[in-house]
Amino acid sequence: MNGEGLLFLFGVVASAVLLFAMVFFIIMFSDLECDYINPIDLCNKLNQFVFPEMAGHAFLTLLLLLNGSWWAFLLNAPLLAYHIQKVAKQRHMYDATEIFRTAPENKRECFMKLAFYLLSFFYYLYRMIVALLADD
Amino acid sequence: MPQLTQQFSQTSLAGSPAGAGSYYGSQGSLAAPQSLHQHVNLLSGPQTIDFEASTSVIEKTLPSSRSASQSPTSNCAPVWKRSTINSVPTTQQVLNKSRIPFGLLVKPYRQLLPGEEEVPVINAPQVVRCRRCRTYINPWVTFIEQGHRWKCNLCFLTNDVPSFFDWNPDTRQNVDRMQRPELTHAVVEFVAPQEYMVRPPQPVVMLFLIDVSFNAIQSGMVAAASKAILSSLQSIPNTEDRTKIAIITFDSNLQFYNLSSVLNEPQMLVMSDHADPFLPQPYDLLVSLTESMSQVQSLLGKLPEMFKHNTDPGHCLGTGLTAARKLISPIGGKIIVLSNSLPNTGEGSLKMREDVSLLGTNKETTLLHPQTAFYKNLAVTCSPSQVSVDMFLFSNDYADIATLNGCAKFTAGATYYYKAFNAKRPEDSVKFTTELSHFLGRALGLEAVLRIRASRGVKMTAFHGNFFLRSTDLLSLPNVSTDNAYAVECQLTETIVSPLVCFQTAVLHTSSNGERRIRVLTLALNVTTSIADVFTSADQVAIASLLAKKGVDRTLTSKIEDARDAIQHKLIDILGAYKQSMTSSGQAGQLLTPANLRLLPLLCLGLLKMNAFRDTATIPSDLRSYWMALLYVFPADMIAMAIHPQFYALHTVLDADAQPPMAKDALGRLPMPKQLNLSSERLDRQGVFLLDNGVELFLWVGSAVPPATVHALFDRPSVDQVQVGKASLSPTSAQTPPLGRVVRDLIAQIRADRMRQMTLWPHLYIVREDGDPSLKTWFLSHLVEDRYEKMPSYPQFLNQIREGLAKYSSG
Ligand SMILES: [Zn+2]
Repeated sequence: MNGEGLLFLFGVVASAVLLFAMVFFIIMFSDLECDYINPIDLCNKLNQFVFPEMAGHAFLTLLLLLNGSWWAFLLNAPLLAYHIQKVAKQRHMYDATEIFRTAPENKRECFMKLAFYLLSFFYYLYRMIVALLADD
Repeated sequence: MPQLTQQFSQTSLAGSPAGAGSYYGSQGSLAAPQSLHQHVNLLSGPQTIDFEASTSVIEKTLPSSRSASQSPTSNCAPVWKRSTINSVPTTQQVLNKSRIPFGLLVKPYRQLLPGEEEVPVINAPQVVRCRRCRTYINPWVTFIEQGHRWKCNLCFLTNDVPSFFDWNPDTRQNVDRMQRPELTHAVVEFVAPQEYMVRPPQPVVMLFLIDVSFNAIQSGMVAAASKAILSSLQSIPNTEDRTKIAIITFDSNLQFYNLSSVLNEPQMLVMSDHADPFLPQPYDLLVSLTESMSQVQSLLGKLPEMFKHNTDPGHCLGTGLTAARKLISPIGGKIIVLSNSLPNTGEGSLKMREDVSLLGTNKETTLLHPQTAFYKNLAVTCSPSQVSVDMFLFSNDYADIATLNGCAKFTAGATYYYKAFNAKRPEDSVKFTTELSHFLGRALGLEAVLRIRASRGVKMTAFHGNFFLRSTDLLSLPNVSTDNAYAVECQLTETIVSPLVCFQTAVLHTSSNGERRIRVLTLALNVTTSIADVFTSADQVAIASLLAKKGVDRTLTSKIEDARDAIQHKLIDILGAYKQSMTSSGQAGQLLTPANLRLLPLLCLGLLKMNAFRDTATIPSDLRSYWMALLYVFPADMIAMAIHPQFYALHTVLDADAQPPMAKDALGRLPMPKQLNLSSERLDRQGVFLLDNGVELFLWVGSAVPPATVHALFDRPSVDQVQVGKASLSPTSAQTPPLGRVVRDLIAQIRADRMRQMTLWPHLYIVREDGDPSLKTWFLSHLVEDRYEKMPSYPQFLNQIREGLAKYSSG
């Protein structure tokens, strides 16, 4: 297997993990709306995944850049920029005192990221197959 | 002139050759609504200041005789709970059309007024509640099937009436259920049975976290606080000797005190590890107030002396709070912080970030937002362990109320602010001592949750006040004070088919005598299909209060400019909606409101001009944050006073033709003089005036006041010898002339009344017409109807509003 194939294999795995993370986030927000979880526990749970999610995505984007996969990099750049500005504005963590006000917005964001990771998943899968075929 | 064009187009549409006919036609339709609803044209002149009128609206729109028991106390009085509209439309469309924000202001716990009936306490075999929505039985349920079943007034499920409603098993006699307090009173308190307890009721726990750093010693705060706490120990609620107390002091280190009753003298334990504050001997730090009374007294007596020569400028409030929380979190309770400077050591250190060049600019809001999330996060960890934090802040310069209030805000506490406190000044020490003693002695509820239920079709969308929102509609209040009020915003999600809309607030709490109780407040509102009823039943004070709270919220989540714009736009929207649906085009040149909303524009102008929201570079950010914190917890009547101060002429109160005549009533109370419009035109060089903004009192003295008046009030021969600024009047003596006596009594009465509403003892400032200009400017900033800085006068403001209304056409 060549380098590109390995890279996109990693991309497939990473986007699958991120995808599941988003599903988990959405389930947690729904639980909050139904009172199955209180806002403090929710924020404690979700906040520990915020940085791993961002770091995972940033690492993948960096690899794509280093590999010179321009299209894949451009696809990911906006989300990376969005994450960076969130951290810069200190708005990346979920706040238990604001969570009921921001939950619908957060949930929408998670759905959009979910769609994005799903799309990425299939794109990387396609690129991986193309790379493997080229390898043969 | 859109009105004019519309009139023309109407004429041409009608195709009538006689234009005059349609003109008269519109005249006719003009007369009709006027007779029905009494429009008030605001441009016709100043309005009489009378906020009380609106409070009787509820009885008019929904007579209490419509309740099950027909008792006059069936509906919530506005002091407990008031709605912005007293007639609820059947659909959200009508509500949207009226533009009036729909919301409630609730003060579930308050100190009763002299002569007011006690809240009935119900200790029944069973707390009767709806099976489905858990509503408590109340005066607005309906009995059906010969009274065997009751229909819930919130979800309309039918429930069984328990037999003890009609039969007393002890006396073996029939009883009249319509005499039961839960059916005759809108505000009742149930004694909660065992199943309402997750653990044994919490005792009262008070932990004092006292700053003993250099500034605190120098200002005399430590000595004043120790003395006040010492003298209030006996009045702290201490039923069955269950109350526990702890004292922690801090400078750059924490000092704990072993108050164990087996010791002769309290022992000090110093802790200097900020990273991991561990707790030495927790059982001896938090002790029974009764058992360790002598140790506590001895410590408080010695505290000022112990730190008298402390020169440590360090201030580790963050570490102190963390340790305090750890110490009391197994039980829950109150942390009372007394702090004289900005935290500068360990976690939660704060920067001195006040920058006057930012004031009045679009960067100002950054100073109103917290600079660190530490205090808010700390509050979030306090809430589940039922710990509440109250902040007494005494800074010389910058206290960063915006950041530190976070502790109080999310734990149902409050922030008390003593700017430039100096215990040597008698007024300062009296204010602080009075407030702290009142704070310690007042009734309190512990480990509480507050839930508001509403009739089907009504949804609560936002809550305002000091609490932590634990689920979509459950407010967690580690303690309920008699001060704090809460506001709720509502929406209609479906068409209302019932004749009433009811709101039931239930506060499950532990009373300070260790009993688990549920305070229930039920408010019933009339339902209407007509938008006219929505307008004429609207409560201007409640609307202004809700706008104030939303404004604070807007400032904290967005920007202060947005908050100001939102207030002004809302006012224009409401008046525009009224113009559109209720007036005819012939009235285009006027600015009309229903009589009950005629002071709303003035209240909104007051809101835009007050310290919290005024667009100016002259208000320090601490003062703004303090006023915002106050507005966020104030009940409606206090908000009305803060945004539209009460203004009285004092020199005429003893005149023969004075209205009302100054004579004490049966309860020994003086009537308040007639309120004046807040305009400098009312000032008189020969007069003395009192202005009360809820937090401060101002005594304005004209430059030509007759010597007799000066003597009566100030004990001085002439005006120029009257001392200006923060002051107190000399105590009444046998020689005090009647006018001096009445004025002193009035001020004392205002202060006593205020302490009943809030833990707030207003300072008195004497302002002389020919005295200190900055003091005068400060006083004049309260005269809402005048021009002030770049803010318009009331007539100018009304003109702005009228221009803003041009886009709305009359119906
Ligand atoms: Zn029900």
